[in-house]
Amino acid sequence: MAKDSKASAKITTSSTAEYFSKNLQQVGFSSQVKAVLTTLKEAVDNALDACEEHNILPEIELWVEKMGSGTLKGSDKIRIKVLDNGPGIDGDDIPKVFGEYLASSKFGRGRCSRGQQGIGISAATTWAQLTNATGAKVISKTKAMRKAVSGTVEVDIKNNRGNMKDRETIDWDRPHGTSVEFTIDGRIQLNGEAGLLNYLNGTVLVNPHLTLHYNLPTGTGEEGGKAMERTTVERVASELPQIPEATEPHPHTMKLGEFIAHSHLFGRTKVGAWLKKGFSRVNEGTIKELVAAGIKKGVFEKNVDQLDDAEFKDLYTKIQNIPLMAPSTKSVLMIGEEALAKSIQRLGAVDFFSVVSRKPTICDFKPVEVEVAIARLQERGGESDNPVQVLRFANRVPLQFDKAACAIVQAIQTVNWRAYGLGQPKESLPLGPYIVAVSVVSPFIKFKNASKETVDASEELVEEIRRTLIQAGQRLSKYIKKEFRANELEEKRRYIEQFGPILVEGLCRITKAGDSRKKKASDGLMKILGRDADAAETALELAQAKLGGGKSSASAEVSDTDPIDVEAVAEDAGVDLKRASKKDAKSKKTAPAKVAAAAAKKPKIILPKKSAEA
Amino acid sequence: MAKSTAGSNRQGGKNQGDLPKFSREICERLLVDLEKAKRPILYATKCSLDNSFYNHKVGYLTPGEKKVATELNVSSVKKMSRAIFFLEILLRNIETGGVNTKRELYYIAKGEVKHNSILKPLDFADQDESDSVIDFICELFECYREDFNCYANDRGGQTYSQHLVVHETMPDGEKATVDLSKLGTTPFQPKNRPQNLKLSAKKKIDFALVVESEGTANTLVANGFTKRHNSILIGAGGVPSNAVRGWCKLLQDQLRVPLYFFGDLDAYTMQNIYRTLKAGSAASLIRNQDYSAPEVRFLGVLPEDIKKYQLPDYAVKENDAQEVRALKKAQDALKNDPFFQDKKNKGVTEVLHWLLKNKRRCEQQAFFSVDPRDPLMPEKIIVEKIKRGNYI
Repeated sequence: MAKDSKASAKITTSSTAEYFSKNLQQVGFSSQVKAVLTTLKEAVDNALDACEEHNILPEIELWVEKMGSGTLKGSDKIRIKVLDNGPGIDGDDIPKVFGEYLASSKFGRGRCSRGQQGIGISAATTWAQLTNATGAKVISKTKAMRKAVSGTVEVDIKNNRGNMKDRETIDWDRPHGTSVEFTIDGRIQLNGEAGLLNYLNGTVLVNPHLTLHYNLPTGTGEEGGKAMERTTVERVASELPQIPEATEPHPHTMKLGEFIAHSHLFGRTKVGAWLKKGFSRVNEGTIKELVAAGIKKGVFEKNVDQLDDAEFKDLYTKIQNIPLMAPSTKSVLMIGEEALAKSIQRLGAVDFFSVVSRKPTICDFKPVEVEVAIARLQERGGESDNPVQVLRFANRVPLQFDKAACAIVQAIQTVNWRAYGLGQPKESLPLGPYIVAVSVVSPFIKFKNASKETVDASEELVEEIRRTLIQAGQRLSKYIKKEFRANELEEKRRYIEQFGPILVEGLCRITKAGDSRKKKASDGLMKILGRDADAAETALELAQAKLGGGKSSASAEVSDTDPIDVEAVAEDAGVDLKRASKKDAKSKKTAPAKVAAAAAKKPKIILPKKSAEA
Repeated sequence: MAKSTAGSNRQGGKNQGDLPKFSREICERLLVDLEKAKRPILYATKCSLDNSFYNHKVGYLTPGEKKVATELNVSSVKKMSRAIFFLEILLRNIETGGVNTKRELYYIAKGEVKHNSILKPLDFADQDESDSVIDFICELFECYREDFNCYANDRGGQTYSQHLVVHETMPDGEKATVDLSKLGTTPFQPKNRPQNLKLSAKKKIDFALVVESEGTANTLVANGFTKRHNSILIGAGGVPSNAVRGWCKLLQDQLRVPLYFFGDLDAYTMQNIYRTLKAGSAASLIRNQDYSAPEVRFLGVLPEDIKKYQLPDYAVKENDAQEVRALKKAQDALKNDPFFQDKKNKGVTEVLHWLLKNKRRCEQQAFFSVDPRDPLMPEKIIVEKIKRGNYI
């Protein structure tokens, strides 16, 4: 066949960096708003992962600031800086971390870390380089270093290497830590689902051990771009979450390509040893079964790098057909109900909330742990007709885009929230001033895309999330019912006060009765209606009693941590429910609102005995 | 427990003059109960099919013993306060001779609330709320809202005759006389409380014909029906309004003329139009006595007319929700409606059975197809049917 001159053009290979630099939209840089959020997210994720790896309670300060107009049409020049108290990075590793794709300490380790592949932060550096011709400004210091290393990391796109320019050692007033600063083109969006505040709230919620200081512009308009406001959110847990040991991958959770790629990590190891050491749930018995299934014994004696593709395929197919134990759930990290209960109150003043941590389980042959926190926010009190605010997390990273396709949203929509006292249009999100936070943790989360925006909605995972939501809904409904009773009592009292005199006066006018009869009838009416109010009070007391006894009704799978105890809070704050309601009928402030306000000021968590003692 | 009820002594009450007295009595009982710290209960007749009775000797649906009790408690105190508040307004109207529609009363109530802040909790968010209070008062007193001078804009009932004369005494005592033969092509339309009118005939009237369609009634008159026959011709205008029902009752009682109804042959006409005209409805149990004409007969269209005059009929549309619902309702009526269960109404019941079995319907205007070039043909058939006694 004659070669066309055009077709004979050279076939070239590109570096990984080159690929990603041309496809940054795949990793979260598809819009101006996303670019800012992704850059911030990657830097914060890295800081948190590094702190947790080294047993350091994270304290992070971040700045997102508008510096002027960007180079791209319609964009702003944005400075993003993240400063952490992490372990710091050795000077020689800094270019690798910030300027080299797929240079990761976490890749394929089967851990529930936020970052996995080592793409995100290098992509942020690339974006800064492409839009502002400057890389990531990094300062870092480890405990062992006397001075900090400072420099600007740039990605050598042709060779997928990080280069550090202007490297110098400087004095730094921190014992250890890292500061990274990007100047990129983008746009700051503070509010809304894709807003920075939503991201920060989410990060705060699922990281109870994090102290966060954030500096954000007070407005996003032309004028407001410069005024910055610093907000601090203190940590509510003084212990790091227990980071589970990494587990080896389970052969049934892998595709053939991954199976072969996994072998490359082992090089000259014998196939038998590779299978037993490199995978979980594979043992001598499995090897025997593979032999029985037709794999020659000699194959297990070969080194893995000697296997050809056909042999890999045969081995892979046979092992898929052998029944293996499901992967261990020990590798899954839990935030825990206690920590979540404390953390959710950092989002603002809440009326009440419920949290549920399910036991880790296996979904789609992968260990998964689902946790749910639902809270009613006071500041959103007027939004009873709007859908609830959903916060989604995968491995403790907030997910903010492509909500509809996400397993978490699908699960929320399948729950009948009306049964728990929330409004809900058919097959939609429930309504009301609530935050529904769902965290899915797994060493092998299946995302729908590389930018990790949506958790793939498999039937088993949706069902597991749904069950957790149902448990949380059941707990929540006790508060809503009690509140309903309290409102009912208050309304009855209000009715007596408002309508009693009107009725008696009307009757007296028609019958032409005098003042003494009017007074007598008024007293009589108050007696009759007072009995009704007493009955309502009894109903409220019953509802309160039920709430107090909530522990017994909690599912055995749920830990026995109970959410905030409204009555106890009311008592602590000196609010008498009964009197408050009567008094408030006049002041037009509802008793539950007062209790809730007290609850917000003085949260009281009932902890399981063990934790309380600890 | 104390009982306060206007109760049975108001059954069929017509005398508006009684209402202030009864109101004071009820309010007095309520007040006495309250003074004793007893929980007063107000009883109202239950107006529903399960509390309806029919006796052909009486001729209309009457209420049974079932009562709806409204006990004063925290939940009902608002309703009762509103009722007493509204009662005062209505009594004032009776006293001054004022007349209002429900919508006007709604605004009058809002005005009262606006000018007296203590009444603010009573405020009505929409007319439905004030309407329900007026209905509650009427059920309590077993009277018609017209007794409280609350009139509806009644539709239907356009009446034509060459011999009928209507005498009316106005609220101010002035008298009015309407000779229908002097109205030309303009019909007389009964309004408000037609029971208060007096009727006379210049010449003996042979019959009164109520036509379901007002348009068809007008056509018959335009073609000279009332000139050729000593009759009264009324267009019902679909389901008969209170005015039409009261008017027919008046014609029946004062003129003693035979009354015939001419309408479509379908389940809706039989149950909702003809039955209501003849025996009243379950919803208006307490006022059927004055709002039904038990002597009215069903002239057609009868099932045999279809065959006899070869009338075009058509099948009930299975996908027409309204028609299907009417058939289902007809099935229920045969089981539960005392009117259709009475042997005296066997003829009507048989028509219902025929409709259910054949699932066909025929319209009154089908008579115009018998001889399309003779505009008088429908009139001829109607008169022939009356003469031959071809009605049920």
